Amino acid sequence: MEYILTAESLSKQYGDFKALDGFSIHVPKGSVYGFVGKNGAGKTTLIRLVCGLQAPTSGSYTLYGSKNTEPGIAKCRRRMGAVVETPSIYLDMSAEDNLKEQYRVIGLPSFDDIPELLRLVGLGHTGKKKAKHFSLGMKQRLGIAIALAGSPDFLILDEPVNGLDPQGIIEMRELILKLNREKQITFLISSHILDELSRLATHYGFIDNGHMIREISAKELDAACRKCIRVQVSDIRALTRVLDEMGIEYNIFSDTMADIFAKINISKLTLALAEQECDIISLTEREESLESFYVNLIGGGNRNE
Amino acid sequence: MNRLLSADFAKLKKNRFFWICMTGMAVFGIFMKLMDYISMREYMDRSSSLHSMLLVYSLVIGFLTAAFVSLFVGTEYSDGTLRNKLIIGHTRVSIYLSNLITCSAAGLMMCLAYLIPALAVGIPLCRTDDTDFRMLVLMVLYSFFMSLAFTSLYTLAGMICQNKALTAVVTILGVCFLFVASMYVSAKLNEPETSIEISPFAEDGTVTAPRQIPNPGYVRGTQRRVYEFLNDLLPTGQSVTLTRGDTKAATPLLPVYSAGITVAASGIGMFVFRKRDIK
Repeated sequence: MEYILTAESLSKQYGDFKALDGFSIHVPKGSVYGFVGKNGAGKTTLIRLVCGLQAPTSGSYTLYGSKNTEPGIAKCRRRMGAVVETPSIYLDMSAEDNLKEQYRVIGLPSFDDIPELLRLVGLGHTGKKKAKHFSLGMKQRLGIAIALAGSPDFLILDEPVNGLDPQGIIEMRELILKLNREKQITFLISSHILDELSRLATHYGFIDNGHMIREISAKELDAACRKCIRVQVSDIRALTRVLDEMGIEYNIFSDTMADIFAKINISKLTLALAEQECDIISLTEREESLESFYVNLIGGGNRNE
Repeated sequence: MNRLLSADFAKLKKNRFFWICMTGMAVFGIFMKLMDYISMREYMDRSSSLHSMLLVYSLVIGFLTAAFVSLFVGTEYSDGTLRNKLIIGHTRVSIYLSNLITCSAAGLMMCLAYLIPALAVGIPLCRTDDTDFRMLVLMVLYSFFMSLAFTSLYTLAGMICQNKALTAVVTILGVCFLFVASMYVSAKLNEPETSIEISPFAEDGTVTAPRQIPNPGYVRGTQRRVYEFLNDLLPTGQSVTLTRGDTKAATPLLPVYSAGITVAASGIGMFVFRKRDIK
């Protein structure tokens, strides 16, 4: 698999506080990588390092295959854009002037495609209105437009839906999906709004206390979060025999408990188990969400406390 | 670097505060020359000299650039736009230099915004027979170097302090403090070596002739050399010297010190800014 961004043993320390500690990440090309973690877990710190705003204390990362210590990293950064925390826009300028300023910073010779870029993010109508008079959603979209100047193929968005109203969240989601599908832009999106992230991400990375706890693809997560019936029985062998006979997919994870991945006739199962002298102790329907997966993964937030 | 300069100068062109400063300096220049002309006509019954009041901008430019540079550079932090430059791979040195060059150019333009209208009003109204043009041009050049020293110090403060308001407060308070110190130093240096003592009545009641006695306020020896050095070194000291039109104190050492301050401040600024964690 081709990766846009990788990091190994990356650490960042502020005084005595370790914001990132032996951190690793692998962002595949073309993915929408959901970067999940609670406040203070180290999401923004990683983004600041990757954007060159801060230097790692130890360890390294690679961007498009270039290590952060190599001189070529500056060239690689021209292929990326980012919105870190708040949108980086001149509040005293209009949307168009903000983009012109960024075009000059990048060194783009023509401003011809600015109207198209503004239309793409839904700001084509703003005219001479200054950015300080924009709504939060408009500022967020202008921040994305600036990040998109220079046609990057990797975009980092730090909490892009924070503070947006429901309509703004929908528009932001549609914009991200559109850019990912139509322009094949790879996204790294940090968020703790898991429900929203689950609608976008093709890959996930879970961070806690500066460590990457787990990286998983959306497909793997779907499999892990499949709707199932969790059954607790007195004899797990009897259960496996019955389920095998019925041709039902299942997963055993303890001496007494298993997950059954099918719609089953409870009466039939109960009778079949009774014939094997096996009692059903409990039976619950389960559907794990990204949220419950995350909570299980990091132990409800008190893992290292 | 060229790309950053192009962006920064475009930003400068759109900066409202910059144009307010430019307009203010132009109006100030015209006002000072006209007032000088009117007062000379009224009280001395003759025209004022061309060089009179021509370098008063030296006193103002330190305060004006303190406010301007703090706001111009501070906006990069407060609006977060500094990140846009770093994210796409511009080096910190080129970002620093671009800001320094833009702010220095703005400072020089503010000086010119005073000088050009003041000369435009002064040349037809003032007499030029007592003006040493060579010295005048030199002092204008010294003031430009002094302006560069001011902007380099403010750029240093603006680039290493991520809080725009704090930068503005620190630079303006700093320049106020240095101005007071420089005026004190200048006053001490300009004390006469002797003073005239006039005793109206002698012991026997007769009037005595005035006599010269040593001035106790006159600074001598090492202290005088230190004061002279501070007066020449500090941009605020230079601005007091230039504003007073003190041709004796305006030596070629002034631009040398200003250049030294500019190089040292920029070197320190770039070194610190390179190591700085940006939020």
